[in-house]
Amino acid sequence: MKEKVRLTTKKDSRKNFFRLLLFFAALIIPWILVSIFITKTSVKQENTEIKLINYKPDTIADVDHSKFPLLRQNFESPEQVTAACLTCHNLTASEIMHTSHWKWTKVYVTEQGDTIALGKKNIINNFCVGVPSNEPRCTSCHIGYGYKDKHFDFQDSSRIDCLICHDQTGTYEKFPTGAGYPVSTPKSFNGKEYLPPDYSFIARNVGTPRIENCGACHFVGGGGNNVKHGDIANELKEVTQEVDVHMAIDGAHMECVECHITERHEIMGNLYSIASENTNRLRCAHCHTEQPHQDNTLNRHVRKVSCQTCHIPTYAKESHTKMYWDWSRAGQFKEDGSLLVRKDSSGNIVYHSKKGAFVWENNVKPDYIWFNGKAEHYLLGEKVDSIRPMPLNQLYGNYHDKESRIIPVKKHIANQPYDPINRTIILPHLFGKDSMAYWKNFDWDKAARHGMQYVDLPYSGTYDFIETVMYWPINHMVAPADQSLQCADCHARDSRLKSLTGFYLPGRDHNNLLDLLGYALLIASFAGVLIHALLRLKNNNKSVKNN
Amino acid sequence: MIKKEEYIYKWFERFWHWSQALLIFFLALTGFEVHGLYHLFGFENAVFLHDIAAWAFLVLIVFAIFWHFVTGEWKQYIPTTKYIKAQIAYYITGIFKGAPHPTHKTVYNKFNPLQRIIYLGLKLLVIPVMVITGIIYMYYTYPNNPIEISGLGLIAHIHTFGAFALMAFVVAHVYLTTTGETPLASIKAMITGWEVVTLDEKEAHKVHMQKAVDDSVAGYYRLDSKGFFVEVNDAWLSMYKYSNKSDVIGKHYSLTRKSEDLQELDHIFQSVMKGKSITSKPVKRKCSDGSTGKHLLSANPVTTEDAVIGIEGFILDLDETHEFSEHMYDAVRDSGAGYYRLDEQGIIRDVNEAWLKLYKYDKKEEVIGLPCSFLRPEGEVEEFNQIFRHVMQGETLSGKITMRKCKDGTLARHISSASPIVMGNKIVGVNGFILDLSELDVSTRV
Repeated sequence: MKEKVRLTTKKDSRKNFFRLLLFFAALIIPWILVSIFITKTSVKQENTEIKLINYKPDTIADVDHSKFPLLRQNFESPEQVTAACLTCHNLTASEIMHTSHWKWTKVYVTEQGDTIALGKKNIINNFCVGVPSNEPRCTSCHIGYGYKDKHFDFQDSSRIDCLICHDQTGTYEKFPTGAGYPVSTPKSFNGKEYLPPDYSFIARNVGTPRIENCGACHFVGGGGNNVKHGDIANELKEVTQEVDVHMAIDGAHMECVECHITERHEIMGNLYSIASENTNRLRCAHCHTEQPHQDNTLNRHVRKVSCQTCHIPTYAKESHTKMYWDWSRAGQFKEDGSLLVRKDSSGNIVYHSKKGAFVWENNVKPDYIWFNGKAEHYLLGEKVDSIRPMPLNQLYGNYHDKESRIIPVKKHIANQPYDPINRTIILPHLFGKDSMAYWKNFDWDKAARHGMQYVDLPYSGTYDFIETVMYWPINHMVAPADQSLQCADCHARDSRLKSLTGFYLPGRDHNNLLDLLGYALLIASFAGVLIHALLRLKNNNKSVKNN
Repeated sequence: MIKKEEYIYKWFERFWHWSQALLIFFLALTGFEVHGLYHLFGFENAVFLHDIAAWAFLVLIVFAIFWHFVTGEWKQYIPTTKYIKAQIAYYITGIFKGAPHPTHKTVYNKFNPLQRIIYLGLKLLVIPVMVITGIIYMYYTYPNNPIEISGLGLIAHIHTFGAFALMAFVVAHVYLTTTGETPLASIKAMITGWEVVTLDEKEAHKVHMQKAVDDSVAGYYRLDSKGFFVEVNDAWLSMYKYSNKSDVIGKHYSLTRKSEDLQELDHIFQSVMKGKSITSKPVKRKCSDGSTGKHLLSANPVTTEDAVIGIEGFILDLDETHEFSEHMYDAVRDSGAGYYRLDEQGIIRDVNEAWLKLYKYDKKEEVIGLPCSFLRPEGEVEEFNQIFRHVMQGETLSGKITMRKCKDGTLARHISSASPIVMGNKIVGVNGFILDLSELDVSTRV
């Protein structure tokens, strides 16, 4: 009786078989197609052709300066060269004298509505602190001659130094302590020999500034290679793509001014260790467009993440950069009373009697902050608040601000002189041949008193040290595309943006309570199911036994 | 209780279910990686795959919504509180004692009340919330966006919690599939579409009676208390040579008789309205074209709780050209028509009282579950099997005189009809009517 009667015909069973086949095909084929699509397209993503606009890699000189009779004379002093330049470029002096390269200030309106002129001339940093009272040393990087004290005449066009930017021979050099002048007789500084320049030769060989011209000052800010910026250093004159795709000799091999477009001596680009306003900024998009990626998910990131964030995974790739400076430890000497200088294995000075202790780093992962192009700076004489380390340049921005993007920064922390009574940062008189300079007599009190008096600010007579921080936006040393950050560098529990809180970042963030609830729910359902199943099995066995 | 294999899940439904299962599993796998719980594909690939799967899911949802509305299957999800307590009690206690499921699966009601509520919750709450938060998650960049919510946090948290909830659902859902007839029966059903369901007798009887009526060669009619047609089936229409139901419904029964025969019908109508039943009365009908035919009429009162609200019954054609018609006309006079239903393997699934009487059984239980072939004298089994095969391939049979073997072993004659039971697009059994011929010595009359 139990025999089953199969009533389906052969035709039916074949039909059923095909139906089943079709069903499984419909279920499986889309998955195969999707997986093929994915494997094919991920190969396609390797295509890294770069979109470029607005970029003209070469400019041809309009004139050959070596042919001008005016420049065939014998120049005795650098001012004579400047005078010769201004004979033809007779409107250029006023151009120059409006630039921040000359004035060392920029006018801007503070949050409080005050209009102030702020720049290298009067700002406080946490390296050698400030220019006033230390001019002859600092102003070796001024594009002028004789900025030796606060009485320098910024209206005197004869003092413009044309050659520091326009020399094409590579032989023109200002002396490090010469207030912007080259030497007139051979002199040495820190073991390096400086010779009087051949002005006539140089004057006949001028042209558009090259990386060597810009680098002469900008690569050695803070008194040595790569001390300040971290992302621009002498090695950029000859690097491979791994270090900087733009400057690389095997890459674009660009000059500074190809990005830092200059019109009438106004150079584009800000650095917010000094700059304050969201103007005159260089944008990668100028050449690379606002939608530079083939992947739209990446392009959507542009609204919140600056290009630099992903494309500069590390800075100070070759030479080290200074990360920490402790002035409080300055003034220790060898037993014989001579200057104590200690170097690390890479040759970086980690202690100097004149300057204190340093920490250097190499291949540094940047810190990250929100930035909208606006900054505020600690001004000379301002009261210090209680935040430590005390920010000397506050870069503004936050997640909720439309203009803000995440940018990479170098954080330089220092322990620097401070007046605890007046609650002001001290501008010490460091350099000078007089008895008050710290680097002569190693007396902080005298240095502080003289420095503060020089800028007409009170000094209580008590000094201490305060921890300060400066944020240096990282814009150079762009890595090749395949070395840029990957998603998981930020979108992971152990994220590069770990300290950038206050917003939800997928992959990094989660709500502990919610996750706990979720796990509890899952565990509860597993446990419930397990208990239920065990009870069923038990009762099943019982009923089998009973039967 | 009747157990029967039913075609419950249509092919699209199964495709939809399994695609959805794969997609939810894959979305969870990639989604929890994006959440940062583990490293499998890598964040970038996980996001890419999650997005692709999300779009695939969205397409599937659009098709599924379309399908639910076109097929009317959405009605399966209308929540009900009826039996919900019983269902919960079953899962908490009854299941351990081996108690039967409190609700029964049918093609028209395939979810229990708990399933209805949970699935509806998924469709109307969890999945829409996941889709909406997912789309915002994909395209939202705060604050450069018109919708003012401060950041992704809330969206991401809702999306994540939804994922946890879905996972918990999957755990319970997969486990509960094992509470079917056998542990794997429900999963097998979701693959093949066919599931053995336990039907309660009354319901099955109703369903199959309806089916039998719709498909049978017997004409069915129903009149209201004043004698107006409420319902007729196709067989009725063809016997009366009408092409449209609307030509009949709402009309008075008097149009079905010649004036001289009308009095008889009035008499029948009145007596049935008083509660009497008529079984197999041979009568003469007047067709729409004015021609006449003979058929057997049965009539039963249609009752509500206390009142007769109309009459209904069947008519079996006694075609004038049929060689046995005259005999049958006499034979089936006053006899009850027996109804039977067989499944696709020839097993008896249902019979009525008249059938039992003809075969001299006392209770249905004595025959239900037995193969129909034992009801035939040994010499006729092969012929019966042949007929059964023909009907299972879609043929309809009427007026076949056959020999039956009764319970006590005696033989008798009847005339039978048999038509296929079609479910979906598959023939799942055979049903029909039998009319007794035993009082007649057919051979001598021919």
